[in-house]
Amino acid sequence: MAMIDEPLYPIAVLIDELKNEDIQLRLNSIRRLSTIARALGEERTRKELIPFLSENNDDDDEVLLAMAEELGVFIPYVGGVEHANVLLPPLETLCSVEETCVRDKAVESLCRIGAQMREPDLVESFIPLVKRLAGGEWFTARVSSCGLFHIAYPSAPETLKTELRALYSQLCQDDMPMVRRSAASNLGKFAATVEAAHLKADIMSIFEDLTQDDQDSVRLLAVEGCAALGKLLEPQDCVAHILPVIVNFSQDKSWRVRYMVANQLYELCEAVGPEPTRSDLVPAYVRLLRDNEAEVRIAAAGKVTKFCRILNPELAIQHILPCVKELSSDSSQHVRSALASVIMGMAPVLGKDATIDQLLPIFLSLLKDEFPDVRLNIISKLDQVNQVIGIDLLSQSLLPAIVELAEDRHWRVRLAIIEYIPLLASQLGVGFFDDKLGALCMQWLKDKVYSIRDAAANNVKRLAEEFGPDWAMQHIIPQVLDMINNPHYLYRMTILHAISLLAPVMGSEITCSKLLPVVINAAKDRVPNIKFNVAKVLQSLTPIVDQSVVDKTIRPCLVELSEDPDVDVRFFASQALQASDQIMMSS
Amino acid sequence: MFNKIIKRGHRKPSKADAIDSGLYGYGPTGNRNSGMVSTSNVVVNHASRTAPAPSVVNSAPQPGGAVIDPTALPSGNIDPLPPFRDVAVSDRQLLFLRKLQICCFQFDFTDTLKSVREKEIKRQTLLELIDFIQSGSGKITENNQEEMIKMISVNIFRCLPPAPHENSGSEMLEIEEEPYAEPAWPHLHLVYELLLRYVVSSDTDTKIAKRYIDHSFVLKLLDLFDADDPREREYLKTILHRIYGKFMVHRPFIRKAINNIFYRFIYETERHSGIGELLEILGSIINGFALPMKEEHKLFLVRALIPLHKPKALALYHQQLSYCITQFVEKDYKLADTVIRGLLKYWPITNCTKELLFLGELEEVLEATQSAEFQRCMVPLFRQIGRCLNSSHSQVAERAFFLWKNDHIVSLIAQNRNVILPIIFEPLEKNVQSHWNQAVHGLTINIRKMFLEMDFELFEECQKQHEEMEARARELEEQRELIWKRLAEAAEQRKGEDGITV
Repeated sequence: MAMIDEPLYPIAVLIDELKNEDIQLRLNSIRRLSTIARALGEERTRKELIPFLSENNDDDDEVLLAMAEELGVFIPYVGGVEHANVLLPPLETLCSVEETCVRDKAVESLCRIGAQMREPDLVESFIPLVKRLAGGEWFTARVSSCGLFHIAYPSAPETLKTELRALYSQLCQDDMPMVRRSAASNLGKFAATVEAAHLKADIMSIFEDLTQDDQDSVRLLAVEGCAALGKLLEPQDCVAHILPVIVNFSQDKSWRVRYMVANQLYELCEAVGPEPTRSDLVPAYVRLLRDNEAEVRIAAAGKVTKFCRILNPELAIQHILPCVKELSSDSSQHVRSALASVIMGMAPVLGKDATIDQLLPIFLSLLKDEFPDVRLNIISKLDQVNQVIGIDLLSQSLLPAIVELAEDRHWRVRLAIIEYIPLLASQLGVGFFDDKLGALCMQWLKDKVYSIRDAAANNVKRLAEEFGPDWAMQHIIPQVLDMINNPHYLYRMTILHAISLLAPVMGSEITCSKLLPVVINAAKDRVPNIKFNVAKVLQSLTPIVDQSVVDKTIRPCLVELSEDPDVDVRFFASQALQASDQIMMSS
Repeated sequence: MFNKIIKRGHRKPSKADAIDSGLYGYGPTGNRNSGMVSTSNVVVNHASRTAPAPSVVNSAPQPGGAVIDPTALPSGNIDPLPPFRDVAVSDRQLLFLRKLQICCFQFDFTDTLKSVREKEIKRQTLLELIDFIQSGSGKITENNQEEMIKMISVNIFRCLPPAPHENSGSEMLEIEEEPYAEPAWPHLHLVYELLLRYVVSSDTDTKIAKRYIDHSFVLKLLDLFDADDPREREYLKTILHRIYGKFMVHRPFIRKAINNIFYRFIYETERHSGIGELLEILGSIINGFALPMKEEHKLFLVRALIPLHKPKALALYHQQLSYCITQFVEKDYKLADTVIRGLLKYWPITNCTKELLFLGELEEVLEATQSAEFQRCMVPLFRQIGRCLNSSHSQVAERAFFLWKNDHIVSLIAQNRNVILPIIFEPLEKNVQSHWNQAVHGLTINIRKMFLEMDFELFEECQKQHEEMEARARELEEQRELIWKRLAEAAEQRKGEDGITV
């Protein structure tokens, strides 16, 4: 490429753009780093662009964040994996900035690059980088270093490995809790790369230090490590080293730590095996289910099914079920709500008898809970109950709960129940539905709140899909069409919307005979909003019906509307006409 | 209001249970749970609470002299002890210890009808202890000092209940709520008072007291600053400040620990109730810094105080923060441009309430800024001020214009008008042409006139430049696009050439 044809100096363009005071322009140019790199070619990218970026680290955090991200995928532009190490210096600098997002992104990019680098290059440049960061003067560098060990460690020679383990151990005892937290949260990843022998010796002692940290923010991150380490260790080591820790944690004085345990405990059961689970973890879990702090009970209650699945049914019935019973009348509605969202999953675990004897009463009491969220959570898992005990036993209690929720004063609750109606319909069957729920579905079409009317229209469509056009002709269409005469135009609009949704389900014939006349009639409404909605609906009906109907009925109506005094009506009418023209042309 | 009651009702029991269960078998256990499991949980809780060592769970008995072992006391029964004045001076130390033992009991304060008599006895006892310390009627023995700090620790060091944002029960609908009231406050405040009296008492020898008020004690005290109850934080503030004043050995440790709280708040959680109180303490610490300032203190400014402008809850502690910052600049005016650049780094982009606070603080800092430092940061500074002048939030724009009401700032601007006017000329023009707010319009005209009168030639020059820029704006934009397009083409072409290597 001759220089005469190339008056551009890509680096100069970048430098120029990065000087601009408009941050958006600076961001844009960073986002186009790859273009610059490609224009420069690999060698000049390595020798000019990357060194320039290494020095340009005084920009806004947002620009630095973009840079950290771009560099993560830059290997192809510097000439492939064998040159990947040139990307490390700018990212190393970004690992030490103040802003957390930038640091995290830089670590992520470094990991991505490190994972592709060749082993000798890792030893030569990546590992020294990790060591430098780990020994950094300011905590930001040390925090970042913790996330890089798992990339560096596997390819390190033996002596370096020893050094890296020692370094990590130091980080876990760092003066600053920020560093210890980072070390604690990355411990699982690092441990997964460490050889079994060292795992038991070095890593476990690091871990034990963390579990005894005086800051609960560090301890609760160590809880996460329990599950990760538990999976790496042999069962007997897990019982010897992890189990006591988790049992202690389950009685930690900080509720945040106990909360974490409540969330993670079930993961450990598999790691320790059935016997220690029975002797130690079940009692620990029972304690958490009865914790003094509601937040802990919420977490524990939410895991009750997962936990029971691991246990044999007897243990679950003997130890967990009594707690579940207590929780179902817990003083905190959020505990009950968490329980309600998972409790149905216990039915298959407990089997039919225990479910009917013990779970069903709990279930029914939650279904009558004074707090709507609790009832909703139960109803949403209805299919699971049905599988175990059948709907007959439930329908008696179910209906009052549904009716009450259907009229709840919070429209979001009403919305939630509407969304479950199709599921209920499929579970309960046509018979039950006709008697009890049909009227409710029509009532929602006249709700005060738009979102409810909208959902209600969608609901009738889904019911028609579920039970088929014949059923719909009997139970939905007449009632819906009846409402087109409602004095309030917003309700008439809802019906138009429902018609447009129902038409594709009902098919051409019913649409022409039943739905279309109603729409055509509505074109004479006195409210312009109805009229332009008619235009919209007609447009949506066009593909469904025969061309002859379009020509005979729909187009004349649209033509009339396109001469309406109201500008919006004319607009949508002519739009619909255009659309029908296009369909004609294409067919 | 009803909601609040419900919410309180929800939040309190959890804590009440914890307190109640701190009774070590005294009275019935928590009102919700009666299982033995929760009781055993509780015993461990208590053990770790008393433990001065930072171990997590430690149910081993405390080492050391006369240990208070509440479980040894007959349960369900506290009897009032005679007042100090009724016993011989020689017996008072023993009586003091026995009174301490009474105060180790903790009660459920959510239920006002529960253990009324015992609560009153503890309250009276605490008052007597306070009185004893305050009156200086007898130096307390080392052992008693140790036991007293243990008693205080048992009472005040507890895991704080979930903060409003952590509580699933809290509805986001309630925006502004009344401050949380710690139910156990009737006792807690006396315990704090006792600690305060002990710390400030002239009888307290720091060489001995530092054994009990050690790093671990201070660290736990600092953890409590996140408490929701403002009364508690107020006491903590006073006490920590006195500890800082009295225990010279702890000073670097306290500063470091406060920094750690700040770092966590800034970089991890953005949640903490006590930032304002901590800054208040620091405000007076900074006030006492000797000159020339140590490097450590300057680092504190750059690494903790300035980044504290970032969190969105700035308004909660801005007054105290701003005081600390101005203290620094007033002590050492050379720090002014560091501070100003720091403010610019964290300048809010969309949060106008925060922006108003920044502008207020900026004015105070500029007030103490000398010419040399001003010149070092004026270019980025006035670019930002220019953006503020154009803000569509009229209060922000007005507040920015008010900088010109400050004589010192005006004189700094006047000295450097050759640099500043070219930067803000465009924003001023923009306001004249299109700002929606009448007041901002008026202010713009005034400032424009001020520059015009200050230096007519310069003004004309800027106007000319502005017109040229305006005319070339489109052209520049097109040029930029063209350059990028050509770059992309060049890149494509290269790709074709080195196709094999990529």
